[in-house]
Amino acid sequence: MNKVLVKITKYVVLFVFGVFVIIPFFWTLVSSFKPMNAILKDIAPFSLKTFVPIPFTLDSYEQLFSGGFMKSVFFSILVGILTIIAGILINSTAGFAFAKFRFPGKKIIFMIVLISFLIPFEAIAVPLFIIVRWLNLLNTLGALILPMIANGLCVFLFYQFFKNIPTDLMEAAIIDGASWWRIYWQIFLPLSKPAVVSASLLLFLSQWQSFLWPLVSVQSQNMRMVQVAIAYLTINERTTLLHVLLAAAVMSSVIPLLVIFPLQRYYIRGFVTSGMKG
Amino acid sequence: MSKKKINALKGTVGLSRRSLVAYLFLLPSLTGLIVFRIFPIIYTFIGSLFNVDYYKGGTSFVGFENYLNVLKDPIFWHSLKVTLIFNLVVNPVQITIALILAVLLNGSNRSIRIIRTLFLLPLGVSVTIASTIWNILLNPNEGLINSFLNFFGIPSQPFLTSPSQALWCIVLVASWCGIPYWMMFLLAGLQDIPVEYYEAAKIDGATNWQSFWYITLPLLKRALTFVVVADTTANFLLFAPVFILTRGGPQWSTNLLMYETYSNAFVYSDYPRALTLTSILLLMTLVIVLLELRVLQKEES
Repeated sequence: MNKVLVKITKYVVLFVFGVFVIIPFFWTLVSSFKPMNAILKDIAPFSLKTFVPIPFTLDSYEQLFSGGFMKSVFFSILVGILTIIAGILINSTAGFAFAKFRFPGKKIIFMIVLISFLIPFEAIAVPLFIIVRWLNLLNTLGALILPMIANGLCVFLFYQFFKNIPTDLMEAAIIDGASWWRIYWQIFLPLSKPAVVSASLLLFLSQWQSFLWPLVSVQSQNMRMVQVAIAYLTINERTTLLHVLLAAAVMSSVIPLLVIFPLQRYYIRGFVTSGMKG
Repeated sequence: MSKKKINALKGTVGLSRRSLVAYLFLLPSLTGLIVFRIFPIIYTFIGSLFNVDYYKGGTSFVGFENYLNVLKDPIFWHSLKVTLIFNLVVNPVQITIALILAVLLNGSNRSIRIIRTLFLLPLGVSVTIASTIWNILLNPNEGLINSFLNFFGIPSQPFLTSPSQALWCIVLVASWCGIPYWMMFLLAGLQDIPVEYYEAAKIDGATNWQSFWYITLPLLKRALTFVVVADTTANFLLFAPVFILTRGGPQWSTNLLMYETYSNAFVYSDYPRALTLTSILLLMTLVIVLLELRVLQKEES
């Protein structure tokens, strides 16, 4: 009897929080397929109709695709991809150096890497803005990408992965006269596919979700990142149609989910656990 | 030069060549980290000791004057109070609920696995998007939440437009995206605990509560410590919901220090004051994180 009670409590708790977590998302998804007047009409009074996409229309998405928002989506994807390419290259080489070399100052440099990933971006937004202004990078693609490519957590991910690759392979290659660059490029990097996937996810999501930095470092409309674009849609509420705003929220959540779901394993096992051990 | 020295040099020639290669591999990433992560921190503290000089132009050294000015300012004290109240509520709430959900979802049967996937959905939702969605839901006149309350006979609430409710709405929004996120970390930690431990405890006649207290909590320590520290830093530096939902209002009731820093830098262009606030925020977060680490490590012994 007691066991049944525990089980019931368990599912009630899960149900309550499930509703809290899922309903706002579900309502947003459903309403984005309705015309604006129907959304408003169905909100109050509260009924089953509130959560049914009838009448169904794609009007909001048509408006979204014809407006400037999609440009922000594509721009964010572009920034994300460029960050991945540069980020994988420089963070994996650093991880390689930590895993397979002994050199003076290694401990101190490793500390710098560890400290750097404990500092959230928001904390340094103001000084970083001043530094990037000095470097004459404000309002450029460089302002968005350069500060984001060197990533302590990615270095750590590669370090952990490379550390476990046996040194015999390396010794054999050295005897064959291979250069260090070739050893890294042709042996170590191809072997580290899981770390590459995890690090790419991490770098892409960090760009996709970033808000404060693109908000202050870039003013041009042509370089508006997706989170900034949606914030402006929300703030200019009077000129934004409700159903279009909901469609924008759906679009900008679905894209990272499309990346996370198939790669769930890498997402969780990769940087979640290494983040905790760091 | 003595022979010894030459030999020593020769010895290090081989080593230093290999070291040189290591430095070259490190160089790009390390440059990035120093320029864009470490230097900004140093610059924050240095910059906070300077102020704009209106006579000479440029800036001049003023010592701790910026700090004294900030400490004399009632807006700062108010923001500090709001920040502390917010964090005293939001961090325990998020971590407790995330922990409960993680424990409940740490099963391997099918229904649990399906629910677990559903809880992953909000991972795609950034704080910015969460703010957008809740801005619509919390609309006092035509929002879903008020309509839901009315359904149960509760009158409509002003939510974000009320100085006494706005901060709790920010807590709600932050928790909505924070809980599933931190839960995922705790769940990963739980799944590292071998099932055999629980089975053995069961054979020994331990209750569920006992196995939670004596097996789960101690073995989850690492993950839990990480979540506590990361969650605290994230919430002390929370920005997007305030920017999108309230702009610090109504009547400064949601003017968190991070937002105050933002408006000083990017609305009023008062960089010395913004840097001073940043350094206070950084130091405060550091002290609180150290305290948390101390408490969590004490429990271990």
